[in-house]
Amino acid sequence: MLESARTPGMNIYTYSEVEDASGFVGNFKVKIRKKARYVNNDCNGCGACYEVCPAYGYDEFNEGMNPRKAIYASFTQAVPSIAQIDMTKCIKCGLCESACELNAIDFDQEEEIIEIEVGSIIVATGWDEYEPETGYLGYNVYPNVITQLKLERILAPNGPTFGHLVRPSDGKNPKNILFIQCVGSRDLTKQTYCSAGVCCMISIKNTKLIKQHLPDVDITVAYMDIRAAGKDYEEYFTASRKEGIKYVRTNISKIHEDPETHNLKVILQNTLSTAGLKEFEYDLIVLSCAMVPPKGIEKIERILKLETSQDGFFKEFHSRLNPIDTKIPGIALAGASQGPKSIAESIAQGRAAASSLARLMSKDKYRILLIRANVDKELCAKCGLCELNCPYDAIKIESDGAEVNDILCRGCGSCLANCPSEAITLRYYREPQYEKQIDAILEEI
Amino acid sequence: MAGTIRAQYPATIRPIRINCTGRVTPSLMMRAIGKGADGVLVAG
Repeated sequence: MLESARTPGMNIYTYSEVEDASGFVGNFKVKIRKKARYVNNDCNGCGACYEVCPAYGYDEFNEGMNPRKAIYASFTQAVPSIAQIDMTKCIKCGLCESACELNAIDFDQEEEIIEIEVGSIIVATGWDEYEPETGYLGYNVYPNVITQLKLERILAPNGPTFGHLVRPSDGKNPKNILFIQCVGSRDLTKQTYCSAGVCCMISIKNTKLIKQHLPDVDITVAYMDIRAAGKDYEEYFTASRKEGIKYVRTNISKIHEDPETHNLKVILQNTLSTAGLKEFEYDLIVLSCAMVPPKGIEKIERILKLETSQDGFFKEFHSRLNPIDTKIPGIALAGASQGPKSIAESIAQGRAAASSLARLMSKDKYRILLIRANVDKELCAKCGLCELNCPYDAIKIESDGAEVNDILCRGCGSCLANCPSEAITLRYYREPQYEKQIDAILEEI
Repeated sequence: MAGTIRAQYPATIRPIRINCTGRVTPSLMMRAIGKGADGVLVAG
């Protein structure tokens, strides 16, 4: 991200949201809402204000596990390196203003809406971790049941515990950890899909990481199937098993807590052995949750007039033959916006999306099929039914009659079926052509 | 889909390809029925 920010000709708008988009390939106009940071661009991220700020909030980047000040950097490597104020927590004491040597604090800053012109759009909205409902497998009820993302932050050197693996209830090192796979995925009542093996690989990675930190920890992974499909993935899984991590094929329905020790009791049965049900006790349980479409995906879907597939992720042009582009020319998808996928696959798709659009933008001309609606303006009564019925916003009523945008038009013909004046025709699919076809077919009867 | 699962349909059904079901007008359907078709199925 830092490298991109330093590249000439590249503008990054962080802490911003897309509000509206119009136009077509080569001529998109996008409105972006730049939210107010209450700190201007003179800020160099020195952090003097963080130290003096007396108000606290929860650090969203660390999954709310540690406090942060009301004036803060969203995360260590944030681009640009500018502090921001959480106005829901700020008490407007002004201590940051006096601590700032660069006079960068600006309490009167307002959000602004800018409009930019772009030729093409890549949607890379990513994913969210599935949040189980409170009580499901003890989530949000028992302190020592955490999700995979929380474990990631706990294990991170810049995380809330500086990389020390401790359990939330008492801050002690856990001795016995259970990973539960497929939480919220491959479940007919929740997400029916498999998150492309990403949660399997994250668990395998974290078991190895924990073994490096604390070699004496006993780790069990409860799985349905380990989906280690990819280059070197199976070897990685084998290496994890060689380190003594137990993989148990089972399905866990319920977790109980010992209220005194906050240890968790699980009844499970290894379905690959003849051993019956047995109760086990764990210090920490990690839920490996599904990848789900990010919050706000509906808004982008509505603004860009995209479609989503059944799983809620953006729909591609063709799931096998063209998983890069969308049905709208000039808009491509990258990464998990199109469906759950790993980092390597996301990078591959991001590069593919960039080259797909670069190929489109490097030419001065854009080739289209001639199957487009055609308006006879002499006949047009400007009633507006075509404009109302066009799914692609390709037809507009002008002063002299309906005008078709040949690039947005996809030749579906909804406009001419609705035209009371019969002023619209579709090239290659005119009324007499269909009439002749019907007549020829029915002649034999 | 019907093709990949090798679904069978009577030989007396005659398909006409149309870009979009939105394109189908009542006049086309009535023409087919007027010319002797037993029915018109708009599928898609």
